[in-house]
Amino acid sequence: MPPEGSAGREAGRARRRPLGTLRDVTTQPQVRARAIEAAPLATAAPIPGTVPTRPIPRGRGAVHKIRRFLIRTGPAYLFILPAVAAMLFVHYIPMAGGILVAFKDINLFTVTRWYDAPWVGLDNFVQGLNPDGFLGSRFWQSLWNVTFFGAVTITAGYVIGMAVALLLNREFPGRTLVRGIILLPYITPDSVAYSVWRFIFQARIGLVNMWLMKLGIIDEPVIWLVGSNAIYAVMLAAIWKGWPFAALVLQAGLQTIPRELYESAMIDGASRWQRFRYITLPMLAPVTRMLILVSILWNYNAFNQFYVMLGKDPGPAADVPSTLILRETFSTFNFGVGSAMSVVLMGVMLVLTMLYLRALRASERGQA
Amino acid sequence: MRSASRWTAVVATAALVLALGAGAALAQGTEITFWVMPNAADVIHVPWLDQKVEEFYRETGIRVRYEIIGWDQAWSRISTALITGEGVDVFQAGTTWNPQFAATGAVAEIDIDKFGGADAFMEANLISTTYKGKYYGVPWFAETRALFYNKDMFAAAGVEPPQTYAELVQVGKRITEVFGEGSAIAIAGTNAWDLIHNWAIILWAYGGDLVDAQARRATFNGPAGVQAMEYYVDLVRLGLASRATAEYNQPQADAAFINGNVAMAFMGPWNIADIEVENPSLNYGVVEPPAGPVGRAAFSGGSNLVILGASPNKAAAEEWIKFLLRHDNLVSYTRDLSKMLPAKVDAFNDPYYESGVWQVFRRGLSYATAYPPLGVWGDIENAIVAEFRNILTAYVEGNLERQGGVQAFLDRAAQRVNEALARER
Repeated sequence: MPPEGSAGREAGRARRRPLGTLRDVTTQPQVRARAIEAAPLATAAPIPGTVPTRPIPRGRGAVHKIRRFLIRTGPAYLFILPAVAAMLFVHYIPMAGGILVAFKDINLFTVTRWYDAPWVGLDNFVQGLNPDGFLGSRFWQSLWNVTFFGAVTITAGYVIGMAVALLLNREFPGRTLVRGIILLPYITPDSVAYSVWRFIFQARIGLVNMWLMKLGIIDEPVIWLVGSNAIYAVMLAAIWKGWPFAALVLQAGLQTIPRELYESAMIDGASRWQRFRYITLPMLAPVTRMLILVSILWNYNAFNQFYVMLGKDPGPAADVPSTLILRETFSTFNFGVGSAMSVVLMGVMLVLTMLYLRALRASERGQA
Repeated sequence: MRSASRWTAVVATAALVLALGAGAALAQGTEITFWVMPNAADVIHVPWLDQKVEEFYRETGIRVRYEIIGWDQAWSRISTALITGEGVDVFQAGTTWNPQFAATGAVAEIDIDKFGGADAFMEANLISTTYKGKYYGVPWFAETRALFYNKDMFAAAGVEPPQTYAELVQVGKRITEVFGEGSAIAIAGTNAWDLIHNWAIILWAYGGDLVDAQARRATFNGPAGVQAMEYYVDLVRLGLASRATAEYNQPQADAAFINGNVAMAFMGPWNIADIEVENPSLNYGVVEPPAGPVGRAAFSGGSNLVILGASPNKAAAEEWIKFLLRHDNLVSYTRDLSKMLPAKVDAFNDPYYESGVWQVFRRGLSYATAYPPLGVWGDIENAIVAEFRNILTAYVEGNLERQGGVQAFLDRAAQRVNEALARER
């Protein structure tokens, strides 16, 4: 190590040095600050053992601080700027607009001058949520429908997905092929898949009735797509469409579990169920958490399966918020009420997500 | 004498030059966008439009860029154009849409005299272009539904086409005795967007109406409305229509007739094109809708041409509408492509429409009714159709009576319609 000369020269040299020697240079505070300025990349991406853990001593006042801040974290902000801008313009600003609209009297007569439309406080929310009114009662019913729908389809999708993931986690000839094939339902476009399911459930010519009649379970065709049966028909189709995604995610999770855990468990005499219960399930917890969370969020926005299989109006027993809002408000320019209901739907999703995450954290703490 | 004619020639030439000059001035780089629905199969629709666009360009120097948009997307596309004031200059709108678009204030008011005056159009279609007594569209073509029947099935059952709604039930029963349950008539169920049209014509024939003359209150939940709705449910109850009807949309119902499985259906002239493609050997006839206690009634539908209020090319858009409505173009479009009827009287009186099945549609249109031109029509239609669907659902689930019968559902719809009418300004 040559004696330290002028700081500038030293910094210049430091840049050319391998990272491992940086620590030596930085023993002298002032020199180190310069070195950091000169070698932002080395500090922006900390590598264990090369960057000091001690706080960096203060420089000469605010300007210095800002400079240091910009140099240390500036590039990072610069890198995420496009993403932030995109999110802002395509996501948050329109969303804020949607929330504003919910407080305005925007209908057929005011829609083209919507920025001049009068503010009406909570009127839209009252109209859209009052359980004694037509819209309100349909809205709460639709919210219940989609919750019930989600509870069944997510659970079933998870169980089937888990079973298939476990099966596919063993070695057997043609495993890669099977893995590809099980994804087919998931990659089939919604419009195609659910149209086919609509045919399958048709009363007169559908396969479901044909088989049920052949097996002697029913005597005359059941009308599946109308009334209270409809939601079950959609559920079945949605489970069929949804489980491969669960299987895919869980399979990826399974591959991260170290073999040694199972081996030692086996040496300890753990049964197959015990291995599943005490190794597989806990090790899959983070994956499961993410999977269930996105499933819940997607579920509340469910639209395609209902719209394609049951049409614009699935009827009170199978209506979901998306079809209701589209039909009863956006197709008649009643954007104010529609936005109010959408805001409430978003609120419900936020609350559910929060409750879900909190419950998970509590259960984790309980386990620990 | 000779000099006079020479002068005439000079004046005529000058007029021609001026006219061309005016045309050129208007044309100066003018380009308009036209949204049109798939009124005919693309294979014949596109070449026709391409040719006419070219012809129009040669005549006026105005370039028309057209886009064919499906009915299901058209509503949202047009809504967006109305709100943003961009995207299109002139577009096709269904007759029931026109007043709603007019109420937004975003479509151009039309000087009907520029298009031949009010008398030049079919009355019901003209009404559909109005909002608060002003015109906001130009009628393009008209349609109405009539009763299609399968001649072979009728002959096998030994029946004649019904003249009244009561006769229709008798005829239907006879047909089901021969061909089995559900074989008499194909009707649309909960999945049909146009469910209301099917009921409205029975309602009118029974002496009822949707709303009162001032459009202040719903009247369809009166005795005629209940009778008409019971009649519709009876078609299923008596086995004339299949129970599976409940899940049908209109194309499914139409297909049941076109495939030759069902003996009757209320269909429109556009279905003739479907028959020609799907089952050209179908031996069918068309008769006017049956009469109810107060006579016959039909629904007047069709499409209008509407100019966007914010369009900078309104004059060019008007020229394009005039061009489409020109006798030869209108007859050719309706006769060869859309199979609808011209909404303009001169084209409607073309001898072609006095032949074959067209006479039937012509007669139907002579008494066909349009819905009241209201801004809140969408809410009204939604309210009625929702309860109509609930009635059919309750019937197939076997609890219509337990839920208070048809009357209770219609009362609920009427309440919502009254709320909507109160919002009309």
